[in-house]
Amino acid sequence: MKRYRYLLQKIGWSAFTILFVLVLNFFIFRVLPGDPVKAGTHDPRFKKENQEAMRVRFGLDKPVINCFETLNPIKVGDCWINPFDTQFFIYLRNLIQGDLGISYHTNGPVSDILTVRLWNTVLLIGAGQILSIIVGIVFGLFAAWKARTAIDYSALITGLVAWSLPTFWLGIILLFWGSRHGFPIGGRITPGISSYPLSYQIGDIARHMILPTLTYTIVYMGEYLLIMRSSLMDVLSEDYILTAKAKGLSNFQILKDHALKNAMLPIVTIIAINLGFTVAGAIQIERVFSWPGLGGAVYEALERRDYPLLQGVFLLIAVSVVIANLIADLMYSYLDPRVQVE
Amino acid sequence: MSIQTAEIKPTVPSSPLTGFWKPFRKNRMGVVGLLMLVSILVVAVFAPSLAPYNPKTSKGISSRDIYNPPSALHWFGTDDAGKDVLSNFIYGSRVSLIVGFFAAFISIVIGGVIGIVAGFYGGRLENLLMRFTDTMLVIPDLPLIVVIVALTKPSLLNIIFVIGLLGWTTTARIVRSQTLAVKSRKFVLRARAIGAGNMHIILHHILPLVLPLLVVNAILVISLAILNESTLSFLGLGDPTTASWGQMLNFAFDRGAMSTGAWWALAVPGLGIVWVVLSLTLLGHGLEQVLNPRLESHHLMPGRPTVQSEVVDLSNNRSDALVLLDVRNLSVHYVNDKQVAKAVHNVSFQLHEGELIGLVGESGCGKTTLMMALMRLLPAAGQITSGSVLYGLQDLATLSEEEMAEIRWKGISIIFQGAMNALNPVRTVGDQIAEAIIKHMPGMPHGVVNARVIELLNLVGITAEHKDHYPHQYSGGMRQRAMIAMALSCNPQVVIADEPTTALDVMIQAQILELLDSLRKKLGLAIIFVTHDLGVVAEMCDSVLVMYGGVTAEYASVDTIYNNPQHPYTQELLKAFPDLTKPEKRLTSIPGYPPKLEALPGGCRFAPRCPVAFERCTTEMPKLHELNHNHIVSCHLVENNRVR
Repeated sequence: MKRYRYLLQKIGWSAFTILFVLVLNFFIFRVLPGDPVKAGTHDPRFKKENQEAMRVRFGLDKPVINCFETLNPIKVGDCWINPFDTQFFIYLRNLIQGDLGISYHTNGPVSDILTVRLWNTVLLIGAGQILSIIVGIVFGLFAAWKARTAIDYSALITGLVAWSLPTFWLGIILLFWGSRHGFPIGGRITPGISSYPLSYQIGDIARHMILPTLTYTIVYMGEYLLIMRSSLMDVLSEDYILTAKAKGLSNFQILKDHALKNAMLPIVTIIAINLGFTVAGAIQIERVFSWPGLGGAVYEALERRDYPLLQGVFLLIAVSVVIANLIADLMYSYLDPRVQVE
Repeated sequence: MSIQTAEIKPTVPSSPLTGFWKPFRKNRMGVVGLLMLVSILVVAVFAPSLAPYNPKTSKGISSRDIYNPPSALHWFGTDDAGKDVLSNFIYGSRVSLIVGFFAAFISIVIGGVIGIVAGFYGGRLENLLMRFTDTMLVIPDLPLIVVIVALTKPSLLNIIFVIGLLGWTTTARIVRSQTLAVKSRKFVLRARAIGAGNMHIILHHILPLVLPLLVVNAILVISLAILNESTLSFLGLGDPTTASWGQMLNFAFDRGAMSTGAWWALAVPGLGIVWVVLSLTLLGHGLEQVLNPRLESHHLMPGRPTVQSEVVDLSNNRSDALVLLDVRNLSVHYVNDKQVAKAVHNVSFQLHEGELIGLVGESGCGKTTLMMALMRLLPAAGQITSGSVLYGLQDLATLSEEEMAEIRWKGISIIFQGAMNALNPVRTVGDQIAEAIIKHMPGMPHGVVNARVIELLNLVGITAEHKDHYPHQYSGGMRQRAMIAMALSCNPQVVIADEPTTALDVMIQAQILELLDSLRKKLGLAIIFVTHDLGVVAEMCDSVLVMYGGVTAEYASVDTIYNNPQHPYTQELLKAFPDLTKPEKRLTSIPGYPPKLEALPGGCRFAPRCPVAFERCTTEMPKLHELNHNHIVSCHLVENNRVR
């Protein structure tokens, strides 16, 4: 019973956060300076009536929301208009229909661009996260188990250094080295091999993934290592570990059956919180390795001032992170029987 | 009635920052980090005099200067515009540090205020603020920063503000929980009681105690801000008028440093970022270790090997065959870098079949250490320095870890004090009992193990339906009983009960003790009972070992101890204990505290508190004197026959 309330509370909380993100995403692009239409078209030959036509096309001719014509500069408008005929409502309605707007650059729906890109990023982040979690946890485990030995100190220093590396710089250095040692210089797949057998294509993608994934793994491994180490150190000094030892269990059994699950609890939370940072890493890595994912989309949207695309990517990223956090909370409640309503 | 010796520490509000430098100096990581940070600060401050070229002018630069490798003229080569990389690097440090420090300052102020206000005022306001903080924490930082910076004009000031305004969430959370912890401390309540205003309390009582944590957090926030700035610049969102390290990388990466092989233009700026961030990381790590020192040890660390004493002659077992455990001249030391604590010195006793021996003494007298030494469960710093623990034909003190694992629980099991934490919170109680059975009786069918677990739980008065519950679903008394059931699960010959009733209320205590006593009679267990409680000892025990400052004060049968105590410490202990037959007697307590084990007195360890101490007691440690009927006393008075 209590557990259901906990779950409901968490789900409600996530829904609220997503709503907050939706509203934030809408207003940020309207409050901040920079007319998207003008910014998207620096061409002086661009005529006034074409600008107007563009405004209509992108829905920017309508009032932002009841009482406000525009928010930058703030222009008070009529409060007694049909709320369904405001930019805000249309934005929400379109979102529900899966419509994230139209890209200034390609003139196609943003959602189409993002669907393709999303999977590329999921592939990259997924591989990188899984590897960094495994490597970080294994190293952290050994560091804690062999506390105050050379193994521990070298793992600790490695973790701190890895944590301090700027993701994009490590990517650049690996790319510099890799491009001179037969690794592809970027992208997801060698162009023009679509007629080759599927296994060859998969192998080609895998080859393209090695360096970005390695970058990912090194950077994020550091944090997992440090957290796993300190978490396991805490757990291993608990009384119940002494009980387990007194029962005659071997060190291996104690680690496996008594320490790991408990030490993993903080890791689960960190993995979810990290997903936000992970996305930051994706933006950098995809820029360095020209990987056609969401992060790459952010960079391209920035270069082309493609605001609808930027808005769409931000929304997708933020909502994914919120949902990932929710999943982590649910996992936590599954792992830890003590979890109750706060 | 138990003997209360817990020291009541005065709650003096002292900021942990005072007297901080001394331990910090010894923290190698922190010092290295600080030196690295100072060096880069020096570079940034003296940039104009250190840089060989002025990066703002392009006088005398021709197209031949582009991407020149390192040379005597340009130590770190030249960049895509033919400029000196070293000079750019030196000036670039200013941008990183300025953005880092100012953005972090904004974050810390916002996070600090939100955290303190939420923690201090509580209620709805706290709820609202923390909900907001949690929401902001979930929304990914960098994409939001990118979006905002992209929409506003890319200037250093904007970047500082955006990074600063979005980086406060962790600070707010940390400060809030620290404020909550400090708020209910005595001195804050006292200040409030004498009418101090909220502002006064926050500034003078709460802030000083939140500050150290804030400093550690600030260092993390600074390094994140620096990383964020370099990422923004690398993405082309930096201030176009100032060349930061990220921007240098952006230009080099975009303008062919990769293909021309100009590694210096790529490596040098990045190393700058790594240098600063690593210096902050090390400094932060060091500070945290100093401000929040944790015992860097745990239960799985290998202990110090037993010091082999002279070969024990097992055949020459001086007493009858009924001796289960024969502890001879056992000494245990705790050794660390600074000092040696002689926790147990030269203790001997024998445990016979079915015997219940009481081990009494104040806290810190080495009772638990002695028990842990028997089980070979001493912490990593603990070491058996002499003596032997004979169990059957084996000396437990010298067994290997694997051999000892076989004896634990099957031969000797232990009931820990405070079963609250002695049970794993994420596994069911039944599971934890079954685990021991499976370990020591491998091959037992699942159903049999299950039946045995239920039988054991029933034995201690817990019904079968609680088998699959977690420890947090048990009451304190139930947990202690479950612990007893667990201790009995492998039919041990010896059970050590280490203050099994300390944290429980009187009714439950009585139940547990009754249970232990009945189980002893039913199962023929030999029990070592560690306790403060002389009443329990009188009622249950066969013999008593009184310990003081790590040594045997007196060891005798329970009758002898109560009717003819010879050691002044035993006598004083008994005076502190109510006797129902002499209700008119006044209870007295022993003034002072047991000695610190790192700084033991030269002579008799009880001498400083002994009412009848004389000169010899302060200079010479008394030997163990065996009086008649296995009555052992370590006191000079016994030798001199000046028994009172």
